[in-house]
Amino acid sequence: MLQRDPGPERARVIGLLDAFQAAEHAGAEAVGRWISACGDPRLRGGLKVIRARDARHAALAEARLRALGGVPGARPSRELAALCGVVADPGVSDRSKLAMLLGRLPGSAEEPLVGLVRDVESDAETRALLETIVDDERASLRWLRHAFEELEGENVSSP
Amino acid sequence: MSHPDVEREWVVRFLDDLRAAEGAAAEVLGAWIAVCRLDGLRGALRAIAEREAAHAELLADRLREIGAPCDASLDERVRAGALARFGSRTVPDEEKLALVVARYPDEVSAMRPITAIVEQLDHDVETREILRLVAEGEGATFAWLRAYHAGLERPGRG
Repeated sequence: MLQRDPGPERARVIGLLDAFQAAEHAGAEAVGRWISACGDPRLRGGLKVIRARDARHAALAEARLRALGGVPGARPSRELAALCGVVADPGVSDRSKLAMLLGRLPGSAEEPLVGLVRDVESDAETRALLETIVDDERASLRWLRHAFEELEGENVSSP
Repeated sequence: MSHPDVEREWVVRFLDDLRAAEGAAAEVLGAWIAVCRLDGLRGALRAIAEREAAHAELLADRLREIGAPCDASLDERVRAGALARFGSRTVPDEEKLALVVARYPDEVSAMRPITAIVEQLDHDVETREILRLVAEGEGATFAWLRAYHAGLERPGRG
């Protein structure tokens, strides 16, 4: 019965989790393709951690939405799919990919997720799950900035 | 700067020990999740357990890539003791939290065993960047659990 009529709040949380798992899954896949084509070992190291975390975030969100009676079915938005296409493309330079990601997320990568957490009012377990995932997203963004600054520094110092 | 061969020797040992510790932590957290009575804590523990398991897997992958074995393991008595305590239904969540947060005074200290290695890695930069993010994860785990524990202890909270 619960699975057929989960109630408006639960249905909303399931929808948020579904969109999130689709986005994280797409992100992990795109970063995996970036790693395959990436010749810089420093970047590969950090990207491997980001891919692993994104894949586990997708799995966590899917497990939670199933526990709430939902079934995953969301697809990434067209904009996200396009972004992932650039990230996965071996013809685009590492520097361009980093600049694009950081340009798209100028303030904080977790901002959309923070909004999502704020919207989860009555489900403490989902809320804490997402709050903890936000910490990983913050760390990923900090590292992407660090990697971009290193590449930029090398460009400036090379003749 | 140490010779690449010398660096490899101590890095491999560190990665394998850390892999074993992270894998055991994920297992113990899984046992805690199964008996955790606090919804908010359970949600965070699920994400933290996945974080620890991801670290163990990444470190194992890295060891394989550099041709090193994964053969370290946690002392069986330590592992069994942690599983019994954190998987116990009779030990309150508050007591388990207090045990975890008592390990370090702050998140910087929680990260230090790994950041100290990051600062010494000159040759294997791929491993260095993996460890840099693993250290951030450890700091985030400790910060969340410490904040939650402090919230539980705040007067007026049920």
